[in-house]
Amino acid sequence: MQYDDSPSKQQTASTKLRILLIDDNKQRVASLTDVLDNSRYIVSHLASPTSHLLKHVDLIKPDIIVIDIESPSRDILESLTAISQYAPKPVVMFSGEEGTDTITQSIESGVSAYVVGDLEPKRVKPILDAAVARFKAFQKLKNELTETKQALASRDLVEKAKRLLMKKKNLDEDAAYKTMRKTAMDTGQKLEDVAKTLISLLNTF
Amino acid sequence: MIKLEQTEFTLGFIPLTDSAPLVAAKEMGFFEKWGLDVKLQKQNSWATLRDKLHTGVLDAAQMLAPMPLASSLGVGCPKTAVITPLVLSLNGNGITLSQQLHNEILTENNINQITLPLAGYLLRSIIKKRKVQNRPKLRFATVFPYSCHFYQLRDWLSSAQITPDEVDIIVVPPVNMVGHLASDDIDGFCVGGPWNAQAVRAGIGFTALTSYDIWQDSPEKVLGILQAFYDEKPNTVLALLCALKEACIWLEDTPNRFEIARLLSQQQYLDAPVDVIAPSLIGSCLTDISSPPRAVPSYNQFYRTDDILINIPEHVRGEWLLSKMLNAGQLHNIEVPDDIVKTVFRPDIYEQMRVLLTAKN
Repeated sequence: MQYDDSPSKQQTASTKLRILLIDDNKQRVASLTDVLDNSRYIVSHLASPTSHLLKHVDLIKPDIIVIDIESPSRDILESLTAISQYAPKPVVMFSGEEGTDTITQSIESGVSAYVVGDLEPKRVKPILDAAVARFKAFQKLKNELTETKQALASRDLVEKAKRLLMKKKNLDEDAAYKTMRKTAMDTGQKLEDVAKTLISLLNTF
Repeated sequence: MIKLEQTEFTLGFIPLTDSAPLVAAKEMGFFEKWGLDVKLQKQNSWATLRDKLHTGVLDAAQMLAPMPLASSLGVGCPKTAVITPLVLSLNGNGITLSQQLHNEILTENNINQITLPLAGYLLRSIIKKRKVQNRPKLRFATVFPYSCHFYQLRDWLSSAQITPDEVDIIVVPPVNMVGHLASDDIDGFCVGGPWNAQAVRAGIGFTALTSYDIWQDSPEKVLGILQAFYDEKPNTVLALLCALKEACIWLEDTPNRFEIARLLSQQQYLDAPVDVIAPSLIGSCLTDISSPPRAVPSYNQFYRTDDILINIPEHVRGEWLLSKMLNAGQLHNIEVPDDIVKTVFRPDIYEQMRVLLTAKN
């Protein structure tokens, strides 16, 4: 296992984007590190596949992960968001094998970006930039979707509580809504929480 | 003979004991018999195998039974219609614990010997003690988020009223399992052969139970094919199924099980010694370096004359796997169509293959 994290690099690490590179090809590692010298990226290297990836992800807290598509460690990356509570990171995969370039064209998850062929020095920076940008855009969309879903769910709750109130207390729609809003203001609760309480109360009696 | 739309075929597999049907079909000439020139392509990662199938780099692949569902639902990957017309194997996984945890179980429960299969409740006092002493939780490894291994581990723990958050569950590739156990990064793992036997032979682990002790006779590996591939080349798929089914039948006899162990041990397949591949194939579960093996006749199942259901991708099997994914919280925020199991598990294609096979033989 090689793990390169010299003190001088650590000092600048706060302003730079940290890359965790998982690759056992020394030559490729050296050329990549060279290309990214004096860029906004900083490379920590981990030789695959016997190294303990999780420990290093914990330790380095990378902003971006670069991995050979044939590395067994891919399954670990895949699991980080699926079964651990780990914030997803952009993953760039490269492949030295011919025939895998078709994979690139059809992966649209937004989280991962594939690199065709080998890591060609002059292409590396644009690819990393694109991966980071795509990932950010994807995360933003995802968050918006979650928020929209929550807003819809909350509107449903309020609507349901209002209907119940109208039926049980014989109020018209406007009065029912005003009652709920007043309760929310008086008790300093969200309208959604008032709706929840009302539904459980009105359904009980 | 049916007319094949394509004769050259790439088939992906992960080097595990239960890739036996694929290797047997190749080595014993069943693919050839059905007019197929199949290249078996060894893969290192389930995720990469899946991506290659999705994009047509592989024409078909041996998959973990829940994977076609995960692909078709778009869980952990872009949504891609993958079907399974054939169950390749049942059971085959084992849970192996570190020697240290083995000893801890004996000490904590004040016992001299563990009755096998190990009851999960013997871990409870250890989990409690670690919590009180503020020590790290017990840590188990499994092979993939959408795998029977993961759900079996969860079910075993839950049978002892241990909730998933009382332990750590992580993913480690099968090839790295034994190494992680040896270096104490994990306290145990749930993996397929030959890795349980390998850990026992090396004196590193203690195989406490097999997946057969948790779920009896449920699908472990299935054949995954793109829906689009089947639509375009149904005859090629049928020929492939016939060859694989004949390989499964061939694997029923014990002498053939020895033969396949030898074939699997070759460098292009598992690249591992026969003495760690053969035991599970002949129904023997190595338990501990200083103890005798345990008889688990169904450890690896591919076909049995008295059980014609083994290879059928029945809907009920798909429903079972789907319920496990739901239980594990993996389908949160995922839209699950009512007919998802029917579109992925295809006993109708299996039936066409069966008719064809019967007519031919």
